[in-house]
Amino acid sequence: MPLPSREETFAAVRRLIDASPATETEVAVESVAERFVRYADTGPTQSADRERQLVAIRARFRSEDGWCEGKATCDGLGEGPTSAALERAVALARGAPPDPELAPLEGAFEGMQELGREEIDAATADHPFEQKADWVRAALAACSAEWLQPAGLACTRASAQTLVNSAGRAVHDARTRASLSLTASAPDPEGGSGFADGIAARVEDLDAQDVIRRAVEKAVRNREPAPIEAGEHTVLLEPNAVSSILLFAAYQGFGAQAVHEEASFLCGRIGERLFPEELAIDDDAGNEVYPGAPFDGEGAPRRRVELLRDGALTGPVTDGDWARKLGCANTGHARPKPNTQGPKPLNLVVHAGGESLEELVGGIDRGLLVTQFHYTNMIDPKDLLLTGMTRNGTFRIEGGEVVGAVRNLRFTESLVNALRNVRGIGREREVAGALFDGEVVSPALRIDGFRFTSTTDF
Amino acid sequence: MTRPDMELAALAVEEALAGGAGQADARVNRTLHQDLIVKNGQLGQAEAPEEFGLGVSVRKGDGFGFAAAPLGIGEEAATARVLVRRALDQAQALAAASAAPTELAPLEGVTAHYETPCEIDPFGVSLDDKVELLRRAEASMEGAEETVVRQATCGVRREEQWQASSEGARLHQVLVRSGGGISTTAAAHGQVQRRSYPAAFDGNHKTGGWEHLLAMDLEAHGPRVRDESVALCAADPCPSGPRTLVLGGSQLMLQIHESVGHPNELDRVFGHEVDLAGSSFARPDMRGDFRYGSELVDLVADSTIPGGLDTRGFDDECAPSRRFPVVEKGLFRGFHTSREWAARLGEVESGATARAEGWFHPPIIRITNLSLMPGTWTFEDLIADCEDGAVFADTVKMWSIDQRRLNFQFTCEIAYEIQGGRLGRLLRNPTYQGTTPEFWNACDAVCDADHWELWGVTNCGKGNPMQVAEMSHGAAPARFRNVNLLGAD
Repeated sequence: MPLPSREETFAAVRRLIDASPATETEVAVESVAERFVRYADTGPTQSADRERQLVAIRARFRSEDGWCEGKATCDGLGEGPTSAALERAVALARGAPPDPELAPLEGAFEGMQELGREEIDAATADHPFEQKADWVRAALAACSAEWLQPAGLACTRASAQTLVNSAGRAVHDARTRASLSLTASAPDPEGGSGFADGIAARVEDLDAQDVIRRAVEKAVRNREPAPIEAGEHTVLLEPNAVSSILLFAAYQGFGAQAVHEEASFLCGRIGERLFPEELAIDDDAGNEVYPGAPFDGEGAPRRRVELLRDGALTGPVTDGDWARKLGCANTGHARPKPNTQGPKPLNLVVHAGGESLEELVGGIDRGLLVTQFHYTNMIDPKDLLLTGMTRNGTFRIEGGEVVGAVRNLRFTESLVNALRNVRGIGREREVAGALFDGEVVSPALRIDGFRFTSTTDF
Repeated sequence: MTRPDMELAALAVEEALAGGAGQADARVNRTLHQDLIVKNGQLGQAEAPEEFGLGVSVRKGDGFGFAAAPLGIGEEAATARVLVRRALDQAQALAAASAAPTELAPLEGVTAHYETPCEIDPFGVSLDDKVELLRRAEASMEGAEETVVRQATCGVRREEQWQASSEGARLHQVLVRSGGGISTTAAAHGQVQRRSYPAAFDGNHKTGGWEHLLAMDLEAHGPRVRDESVALCAADPCPSGPRTLVLGGSQLMLQIHESVGHPNELDRVFGHEVDLAGSSFARPDMRGDFRYGSELVDLVADSTIPGGLDTRGFDDECAPSRRFPVVEKGLFRGFHTSREWAARLGEVESGATARAEGWFHPPIIRITNLSLMPGTWTFEDLIADCEDGAVFADTVKMWSIDQRRLNFQFTCEIAYEIQGGRLGRLLRNPTYQGTTPEFWNACDAVCDADHWELWGVTNCGKGNPMQVAEMSHGAAPARFRNVNLLGAD
């Protein structure tokens, strides 16, 4: 499905805003066209060729005591669904009590016209199922050759985001994404597994053969993992392991509201030199590895924010409401409004270090190489105390070499402690996700004294 | 039955068969929500989302295809035909990579209507009344300077679905659910502690109407919830080491969900979900003689139970809802299945647990309503029967479990040390860690039906790309011996 153009979407949305009886109206549209194939030992197991257009209408009325606000969403920009959604939003706004803390919608800003992209990569948007079938066949063949069972996802998508409001703000951006993942598992559930994935903005930048090779190699190296004791270990976390712990700083901590509600690890630590000087973390939608949307949930430009520099945490990210409440700059990190959870960074980037993965391994006398964490979750927000399991390849490092696979372990560790104990930063960076939402750009990190609290038999 | 939407689903199936499909399902789904949040004295969120679209599944040769698009923009029949063509093309392209044919358990297509019974239509309750209920509930938590967040929420949903299948099914279902809750967070003494009622993460939800919100009496529980969150900030940390643990129902429901429900999904067992959600320690050959728990442990799956979030007439493959044992007197009995996975096990019918999130996703196996059957104890007698140093803990705070659903670590919102047969000192961050079969085999007491409640899960993620499903778990407080507590503080 071709995505609607900037001008088509602007025109449809402006008709809606013109028809709105509200004092202020904002319309956000997210259009998605996606093709995916899930696969396993039997070949493709599930697939979809699907599209949707999520339209969100925010209506606001001004009263003496503040703004009254309501929101409704619908599927598609058709007149029927959007008229009904506008009616629901207006009804909610008319019935809502006034909120004195809300401010008027913000309008146009300098550079607004140039923000965002219109063109998308056609090869990604139109990537056919026949080529995805080729990837699946290659994964099955590579796994079969090593007596492994495959499971994975091949997915391409094109998406566009548009936001227009009655105050004069109008922004649009379109982009594509291609991904392939493979988990290769031994038939014996205690026999180990390996994982690799690739995520790219354009399908031509996705090396499917490399993803398959890496996953199979990892699974082969992970055969017959040996028992290991819990306790503190030096760990070398590959990017997929880094992402599943670092994302908790994005979910809960780097946002201004979490700081204000005293539920952030930033509380009492901003400006203190607690971390290695070499460790630098930004939120940067414009990063060159995997750029994100250039505007936020209010249509404001996403600014690059230095979150950790020179050994110290700096300020949180903000949105329009929190910038006004705290008297600081709007960094452009609003979630779609209204929202009771506050701003959030979506594009965490860890700066690259100077060592290759091999060099990092070579510097560890005794430790563990961790491919991935599974089901990481947060016990306590103030120190970002987390727990989770290793999976898909955990290896013992001795004398600067990877010497064998070990069984999976559960960690219970504070992210604050972990970042304080970073002792090595990789040179190569990857886009990496996690079980829950989100992605980060990160190199591998060496962390000393990482605490594991229990073990498994596999 | 609204004919045009049923006719559209039927048209899609007929077009698929005419295009060479061996089997086809089509679902027109329209879901309307209303979600309200009152936070710190303001109506922080008032939303009314609606989703409306068509999803078509086809099987052609050895290939599967699914296509989906929104409706409501006109030319619906043309949209259906385009989706069918795209699903068939997809199936044909992917059949070339198929390594094994897919069989489906037989299913007789029926014409039927199912509607959730409601005493009070939640969409008939005025916005004013809803906001007023939430404002009063939120205000009832005022009064402590340590409080940083007070929040009251409600969410109501009406899902209407028209389903047609190539086996002749013509189904119309209207599923209504309502729920809400309160929570408050206090910050003091370097701690941040939350308490919730009646359960964490937006409270409790059930199929049915606004009567569920009224029955919760949120306002009456506000002061207690506020005081507990404040007291937790000054409470001792939960001790470490092996202890007797009594879990309340709103925590036990998570234990059921994570350590019985998910490992019981048959697609996980065969490794088809391992890429993201994980696999399972359970195997088909365990059925019948694997001791999952003690003899007191009876776990029943039931998509017909009144109030369950997955209570319906039919699943999204048109299979009729049913009840089946998962663990019986501690012995493992059966898996959650779809038509494909029932056939793979050689079973004669689907477990009717194939569901999709709305029209946009193809169905996958989901946990249905899965409950621990009540035992014989009163709560007071159970606590009185515990030795000094035992711990009672309740309400979900944090959960994590490995990819095979064995090693879990869960943290509750609140705990009390038991002393002299009564609840004693308050404990913060109660965290326990265990391994699934050992934990369920350590169960030596379950409270009776008077203490049994159905708890809704509204945020269960599975699949890749992930989709969200809802289900309920019935539980009464239960006791587990020799559980490893962690002072995770």
